[in-house]
Amino acid sequence: MTIEQIAAAVIDACEQEGVDHMVTGAFAYSLYGIPRSTKDVDVVLSLVGGTPIERVVSRLSDLIAFDEQIQFDTLTWGKRQVGTSLSEPPFKVELFELFEDPFVQAQFGRRRRLFSEQLQRTTWLPTPEDVVVQKLRWGRNKDLDDARDVLAVQGPETLDMAYIENWCGQHGTTERLNQALAGIPPL
Amino acid sequence: MNNPNPHNTPGALEALQADIYREKILRARQLTVQQRLADVFELTNSVFARMHEGAMWQLGLSDPGEGWKVVRQRLNRLQKVHDEGRFVSQRPG
Repeated sequence: MTIEQIAAAVIDACEQEGVDHMVTGAFAYSLYGIPRSTKDVDVVLSLVGGTPIERVVSRLSDLIAFDEQIQFDTLTWGKRQVGTSLSEPPFKVELFELFEDPFVQAQFGRRRRLFSEQLQRTTWLPTPEDVVVQKLRWGRNKDLDDARDVLAVQGPETLDMAYIENWCGQHGTTERLNQALAGIPPL
Repeated sequence: MNNPNPHNTPGALEALQADIYREKILRARQLTVQQRLADVFELTNSVFARMHEGAMWQLGLSDPGEGWKVVRQRLNRLQKVHDEGRFVSQRPG
């Protein structure tokens, strides 16, 4: 299978189960930064309506083997379920459950609709501002590089910097934001 | 006359790195949304194919299935490194 087929299958599973979703990770980053390869398809699922994550997982069971163990991220304690495609190449799929974190809720509420010509499907992605805030919050080296890239490619003058600064202030990541901005060479 | 080796001059190396990064930014700015998504798909599928070829070559394998097994092992190992300390299986009380 290709990564496109995996992504399309995940989107279809969400649609079939009536689950609102948002594609994050490298896809969201590449939409606003410098496109790169990825190992996985990361999707946030809104299960507010009560649709269990297991139903989405079940829809994908012919294509993806999910770990039985649900995980929690240690930053926000959000739920995550990881799967790997049964066929080769072994692409990963990571499903994150939308939860009661103020930023994650705001990010999901601001998501943007996108029709992908390659996928021939409509999907949803975060705004560039929310990608920056999220990457700075995670704070691994790769995340910090990604945040700088999005700021550089989009241009701070085109972004809602007040929104970014507000969340960075709440997350204690203002210094990371300043470093990312300082890392942009004169263009 | 040979160009000076930038690795011997920290300032020159930084300038070279900034030039390369600047070019990447400017190139990315020219891409449409659909081109960006197409790039992600193409790069990803290509990288996995190269990983498979690399495993086959490095280990002298002839069975593609064995090559994919190695790729799976390597990716699982990589994920453990990347996820170290980030995820736990139990939420604290």
